[in-house]
Amino acid sequence: MRCAIVGNGVAGVTAALGVRERDPRASISLISGEADYFFSRTALMYAFMDRLARRDLEPYERGVFDAQRIERVRGWVRDLDARSGTITLDSGRTLCWDRLLIATGSKPCRPPWQGLESVRSGQVHFVSMQDLEACEAAARRGEKAVVVGGGLIGIELAECLKWAGMEVTFLIREPWYWPVALSDAESAMAIAHMRHHGVNVVTGETVAAVETDARGAVTAVVTEQNRRYACLLLGVCIGVEPAVEWLKSVATPPRLNRGIVVDAGLRTSLVGVFAAGDCAEVELSGRAPVVEQLWYSAKRQGRVAARSMLGAPIEYEPPVFFNSSKLFDIECTAVGRFSATMREFYYRFESRDASLRLAEEGGAVKAFNLLGSRWNHKLLAGWIGERRSLDDVLGRLDEAQFDVEFGRLDLTPARAAFERWRAANPAAGKAQA
Amino acid sequence: MIRTTPGARLAHDIANRGATAWIVSALLFAFYIVLYFTEWLTPVARALHLGSKWTLYGTLYTLAILIGGSFMIRRYGHNRYQVVRTLSVMIVQVLFAYSLPQLLAFLQQPEFYFSYFWPLKLDYLTPGYLFHLPWPFILWSILASFILVPILAIFFGKRWYCSWVCGCGGLANTFGEPWRHLSTKSSAWWRFERVSVYTVLVLCVVLTALLFVSYAVGGTHPQLASFTSQYQIWYGLIVASVLAGVAGVGLYPIAGTRVWCRFFCPMAALLGIIQKAGRYRITVKDDMCISCGLCSKYCEMGIDVRSYAQTNASFTRASCVGCGLCAELCPRGVLRLENAPPRAPQLQLVQIATQR
Repeated sequence: MRCAIVGNGVAGVTAALGVRERDPRASISLISGEADYFFSRTALMYAFMDRLARRDLEPYERGVFDAQRIERVRGWVRDLDARSGTITLDSGRTLCWDRLLIATGSKPCRPPWQGLESVRSGQVHFVSMQDLEACEAAARRGEKAVVVGGGLIGIELAECLKWAGMEVTFLIREPWYWPVALSDAESAMAIAHMRHHGVNVVTGETVAAVETDARGAVTAVVTEQNRRYACLLLGVCIGVEPAVEWLKSVATPPRLNRGIVVDAGLRTSLVGVFAAGDCAEVELSGRAPVVEQLWYSAKRQGRVAARSMLGAPIEYEPPVFFNSSKLFDIECTAVGRFSATMREFYYRFESRDASLRLAEEGGAVKAFNLLGSRWNHKLLAGWIGERRSLDDVLGRLDEAQFDVEFGRLDLTPARAAFERWRAANPAAGKAQA
Repeated sequence: MIRTTPGARLAHDIANRGATAWIVSALLFAFYIVLYFTEWLTPVARALHLGSKWTLYGTLYTLAILIGGSFMIRRYGHNRYQVVRTLSVMIVQVLFAYSLPQLLAFLQQPEFYFSYFWPLKLDYLTPGYLFHLPWPFILWSILASFILVPILAIFFGKRWYCSWVCGCGGLANTFGEPWRHLSTKSSAWWRFERVSVYTVLVLCVVLTALLFVSYAVGGTHPQLASFTSQYQIWYGLIVASVLAGVAGVGLYPIAGTRVWCRFFCPMAALLGIIQKAGRYRITVKDDMCISCGLCSKYCEMGIDVRSYAQTNASFTRASCVGCGLCAELCPRGVLRLENAPPRAPQLQLVQIATQR
């Protein structure tokens, strides 16, 4: 069987290795326009900050691909014809396939700002290998940088540019930093931490226009509040969207919505064509379609795609949501999903930049957001699955601590605060009758 | 990479095998060759009222550990494990490897290092040396090598020695810190390591046995006595002087800080075997790794930690000295050093990618 995989990110590579694991005879082609070898996109910031060399970003020794007989093909795919079972690269080369996996990931969202069309240099994103190179080139040009965004990539780019010695303004449209992941109190801790590291954090301002000089180099951004921020480097980190626009002009496009629409077996509308990772929009029975854009989800989908391509009757089943992040020095663990109908217990430690936020509904714990210390998310997800009460969870929370030896966070003050919170919220913390 | 200031450029150059790194390496080689094979440092030591060149060396070594250790604590002050561990190597160096031996000499006692044991210090189980010591020293040497060292290694892994007590490890984890990432992570060097380190251990054990046999029956078997003494001289020259000293430290700026510990140290080999059977392990948090590679890059022992982390495989590697930098640097808190009794094994994904 001939398997072609478009995209050598974590979804594509996991799928390629997964196919090889189960089918020693399949021919596997891994196609990428971005890089010769799979690299860890999540580590771009460490390459920028001189902690890692380019080669260190590669999670597997290069010999693995030959040893596993995975053919690496460099090039951008220009055409897909499902009737003849072929794809065509920009070089003109045509590859035949029996199974095709599209794992082209995400691309940065394009902002609706005036003046963008005249920008020739100085504007960067921070998600691809090419972005990394552009950021390094742009960071050499001057002192002032503006990062627009309000999520993880924005703070990572801000940290990088601070490391490079630039004056960094972080422009956040929302009233606080990263509202989809953090509460306003958590965000306040993160923003204080960013300011401590010298980042000029501005919230509640929306960029309206970009100014450039005669050669198209960025000189400033202007916000709707009519404030002007001079900058020679403009980082645009306002989110990513599935990289699927190239599929609109191919001979046989698969069904597209936000991403490539796939069923629970990660099959697209075209026979023999699958999609996985950030570019896929998975239709699960009885649920709203999901576009997951995390390293973890891409890896999971890649694993499922491998088996599905080989004909196994497998369905993608997202586990209890979890994610991790690092905001300068503050590590964050998120497990489960918060909603406005839940009751929340929040505690901010005085001993260090650390906090706990737990939510419950109907007597059962539903979500955790834990900042500034380390936690075993699997245990926490298990407690959500077991519908344990907040009372019970607070009592055994130390079992899930994952801090270094001698460095454990003392949970005693949090438990005392919880007792006070429970007294003030008598309906919470008890299972419903 | 953007290195804006000259200072930052120099720091990068020294730490990443640039021209200055080769100069530093050459200077370290030169220093060790002069120290071991000439008497040029003796007048310097006398001028500084330090007695012998070895006291001068001990003073420089201790200063390097104290200065490097202070930087280490400043840098990783937020991590209690790093602070405690670094203080431990600093205190052990000052007390047991520097002050106490001099105090003993002052009291007309043998110059004995309570922080070194056989097989790292071959003499301490060599009849010709050991039996000339006062009996408490003999008792300590034997009990430490055969009881204390293995028992602690069963409960805490080799780290209690290699990254908490040992002077070689102490220098690597303080003065050598800027070069820790230069250790090679390739699987070919892992294969070499497994051959080289156990070869030295076998050579060391055989030599020790021969020394006892020769001590007992050497008088009637002069050929054996002569062979053993030649063997001891060559072992001392190649292993103790060249591999541990000249190359071990001289290669810091080129091949990383643990060349001696990883490829040649018989003590590390022995402790590694015990560690594999003991309680120490690095626990990996399932599915949380982002494959960034900081753990592998900064492993001074050249362990490809990421290959375990990204496949959810908790592990114990014989070479791991438990410095804890992988856990410190992991941006997602995936790794933790533990000495817990074995648990039910986690579901470990057999990943073909790790088969080499």
